[in-house]
Amino acid sequence: MTVIKLKLLPLLPVIALMAAVVLGPALGPGLTGSVTLQMFKTSFIGLLLEALPFVLVGALLSSLLQVFVSDETIARFLPRNPVAAIAVSCLLGLIFPVCECGMIPLVRRLIQKGMPVHSAVVFILAGPVLNPLVFGATLTAFAGHPEFAYARMLLAFAVAFLTGLALWMTVRQSPLRLSFTSRRQAGVVHRLRGGRMASLFVHASDDFFEMGKYLLAGCLLTSAVQTFIAREALLAAGGQPLGSYLFMMGFAFVLSLCSTSDAFIAATFTHTFPAGSLLAFMVLGPMLDFKNALMLLALFKTRFALFLFFLIFALVFLGAVLSSLWLH
Amino acid sequence: MDHSPSAVRAHYAARAVVLLAFAVYIADLARRDALIYYLTPSLASWVKLCSLPMALMALFLLLQTAGARREALCGCEHRLPATPLRSALLYGWFALPLLLGFLLPDRALGSAAAARKGIELSYAGAADVHLSGDKEGNGRLPFTSLADRLEGQDEIVVEPALYSETVSALQLYSDRFEGNTVVITGFMHRDPLRPADNAFAVGRFLVHCCTADALPLGFPVYSETPISLPPDTWIEIKGRLELAPGGEGQTIRLRAESVKALTPPSNPYIYAAT
Repeated sequence: MTVIKLKLLPLLPVIALMAAVVLGPALGPGLTGSVTLQMFKTSFIGLLLEALPFVLVGALLSSLLQVFVSDETIARFLPRNPVAAIAVSCLLGLIFPVCECGMIPLVRRLIQKGMPVHSAVVFILAGPVLNPLVFGATLTAFAGHPEFAYARMLLAFAVAFLTGLALWMTVRQSPLRLSFTSRRQAGVVHRLRGGRMASLFVHASDDFFEMGKYLLAGCLLTSAVQTFIAREALLAAGGQPLGSYLFMMGFAFVLSLCSTSDAFIAATFTHTFPAGSLLAFMVLGPMLDFKNALMLLALFKTRFALFLFFLIFALVFLGAVLSSLWLH
Repeated sequence: MDHSPSAVRAHYAARAVVLLAFAVYIADLARRDALIYYLTPSLASWVKLCSLPMALMALFLLLQTAGARREALCGCEHRLPATPLRSALLYGWFALPLLLGFLLPDRALGSAAAARKGIELSYAGAADVHLSGDKEGNGRLPFTSLADRLEGQDEIVVEPALYSETVSALQLYSDRFEGNTVVITGFMHRDPLRPADNAFAVGRFLVHCCTADALPLGFPVYSETPISLPPDTWIEIKGRLELAPGGEGQTIRLRAESVKALTPPSNPYIYAAT
């Protein structure tokens, strides 16, 4: 009996949804409730809708890449010289804009196909930020203040490049976890109805649901913070000279947002937090967050992963504090 | 993680429903012109386009559930949830904003929201991050050309298109506009800490890209005859600009000559002029 009931559980939200669509207009006015709930709803839906076009484009692009571009093409691009390879890897995101969520499986495949670790890691770090989609989103979110977008790109490049150099100079053995190298190669043939078009849209929906759940969490948390936490408390946190940076970086880590949408979240804090801390939020988020950290720990040996986390955190913090001298 | 073809089909169906619901929600908001409650008009036009790819994704997902051969569907690389509970959580999670969206009505931010966020009475100071400012970059103060234009007018009407810029100009160059008649519209806002019938503010929300970051701005008004209209009433104030007594620096307010209650406009928000 319990087994049957459990299997039906997933149906609940779907049924609730269809009911809401049909009954909404009738039930709606009676459920108006408190102002705070209204504010929360407006903020939540607003943030979600705002980020939606970018998330969709990211999902479609990532899917395009997966379906139409082979992994070998990427590995062949890299120059021999390590420093040049690191620099090029930083900029790969310009031609292959992939959201961080799709990055890890992609990079795993690249390393297995011979891409050096320092380049691969740099790609993981820089790819999600240094691409036209994220640049556009940042410009939109901070309309009238393009310096935020430029600073974000520059800081991300600097952090990724320096991290790559540090790794090239210090790492001697392969940091990959053994379990990953022995895993069956993921060259699955999908025979979906509708051919490549279907592949494109079905993979895009995969990415959408993969990224979407974190986006929802981010919008929910941010709306809750904006609506329920007293402004004075936020102002107090934002007023700390260095504490504000740590708060924003911690927030970025916990939120695990997609790099295309975090600029909008950051922009909502323009009045309460200093510009440098927002920059730290926007550069640390795509590079290192709760979700990424877990994936990196699964991909790399623990000691290497922790070293990497430390490098990223320290470089972003220093870089953001330094940029604040110029930014405001 | 290999799922059975029927499980994969069920997931595809659930995803198609969610995507379709999103597409329908956005299309419905667009049809009712309700997107302005959440986004600026320019962003709204991009969001409207989202319905199409989402509907296409739903369509191709449904196509897989309907016709694909049993052995062709595999769950690998698709990162599907492993247990029914996880599936319920995932799709329930996506259903949450849709439930909120469909069940709760669309409401413009008003006086209560302004009180919560903390209304700003000094436009130029508070909104300097948002205002793109005057395009004269030669070291002069912003809005000088606008101020020059306003000075020539008998009655200064604060138009929604240049709302925050106009008020900023009035505040920055208040000595030039003292005694001028100003006509301004917005929602009635009373200070919750110091409610009075003579002193209130005309409020507007300045939206930058989405209403989550909307900034409540208020223009102080003083009226000799007590006004007892409830907060959130849409009002039109016609009054004379005067320098407010006390306070740091120059704060301006309107001495009301007429206060009219109006029907709220379809779009109550103001945006920074580009």
